[in-house]
Amino acid sequence: MNVDAQLIEHMMEPKNYGSMAESHSEGIGKNPQNGEKVVVYIKVKDDTIYDIRFQAIGCSTTVVAGSMLTEEAKGLSFDEISTLIDNTMKILEGVPPEDAVCTEMVVLAIQASVDTYKKRRDDNDYPAITYQVENSCIPQEERV
Amino acid sequence: MKTLAIMTHEAWLATLMAGFMSSGENKQRLFDFSDILFRHFTWIEKELIYSGEKYDYDRDSIPIKVDKLSMLLSNIIQRLGQIDLQLIGSSKDLNDRISSDIKYMTSVLIHLPDENVTAFSMKRKFEDIELNEEARDALTLFLFEESYKEYELIMIYNYLKAHSQDAYINRIFQILVDESFFHLKSFGDMMAKMGILGVPRVIHKEIYQVEDIKDFLLAGIDEEIAAKEECRKLSEAVASNSPELAKFFDFINNQENYHIALMRDALQHYVSINESETQDNG
Repeated sequence: MNVDAQLIEHMMEPKNYGSMAESHSEGIGKNPQNGEKVVVYIKVKDDTIYDIRFQAIGCSTTVVAGSMLTEEAKGLSFDEISTLIDNTMKILEGVPPEDAVCTEMVVLAIQASVDTYKKRRDDNDYPAITYQVENSCIPQEERV
Repeated sequence: MKTLAIMTHEAWLATLMAGFMSSGENKQRLFDFSDILFRHFTWIEKELIYSGEKYDYDRDSIPIKVDKLSMLLSNIIQRLGQIDLQLIGSSKDLNDRISSDIKYMTSVLIHLPDENVTAFSMKRKFEDIELNEEARDALTLFLFEESYKEYELIMIYNYLKAHSQDAYINRIFQILVDESFFHLKSFGDMMAKMGILGVPRVIHKEIYQVEDIKDFLLAGIDEEIAAKEECRKLSEAVASNSPELAKFFDFINNQENYHIALMRDALQHYVSINESETQDNG
């Protein structure tokens, strides 16, 4: 990981970290290989995320990705969130899987929180949606 | 009572962070006070368990970025005052013990000499040691990752201890809490000296509300083995620039052997207890 000032600031003081009381929706991104996961909580008005928080069971990279992406997601409409997710996933295509997996987990959790919100329009009790990562934490050459 | 636990948890961490920031005579006193506040936290937790009140280790984020230590000390004094107020209505024994400590700590904190704080300068230089970029980055990432891990371990073992009546296993958990405190203090001090101090993030409930202790211990042993490898890699990365720093990480690496032995001991004890219970029931 390239350690620059911006990254250190996110590690020293992650933005939007923690659970959210009375969130409108939650979503989970999960790595089934090692049990790591990210939970994203959102509050929504007029299909726009006006507040967002996240919690992670994972490494510092996941927390930095969560801090950066939730900052970007705050204030975006659902359409803009789709663009943010698409663009981030495109960037991840050029990144080694073991480095991409932490960010992918955050992206999927954001997507899941939006999808859960849409489901809850019809069913208030709809459970938080979980999406699983496709990238692997284990470097390619180490896989058995 | 739950609010009291959260407030004490936050005051403990704020005081510990103040200890890291201090480079003078205040340091040891702040560490001692943070230890006292952690013990208060464990007493409150026991009360919560006895009363059957649901609780967790959630808390607010704790702002600590200050230029002068006195700014954080004022904040801690304010937190202690709020805890003292919150104690009204809790059990008399608990109230008396904690309130007396708070009054004394407050009277001392008010008079501590002020210090300039450099713990957030982001200079990323440890003492006079010149590290190349690769070693400096490796050390930075290690400190963030491992300081959180040590805080996580303190809270996990503390939670398991609070919910266990088994003296043998609790002795092991207490040693592991003490060991993790030493590591957290060592890493926090280094982070402050490098200007990259941060409060460890809130721990997710799933991590400490362990459903299967056997699985937890097995996974914990694997994690300790992984931590040893991280220490070894870091020692190698800094060795050419600083043999002293490499020696420190070798020392931490070797301490992990002791942790692994303790966890294996706990695992063996836990399995044998469960087997004898199964036989008794059969």
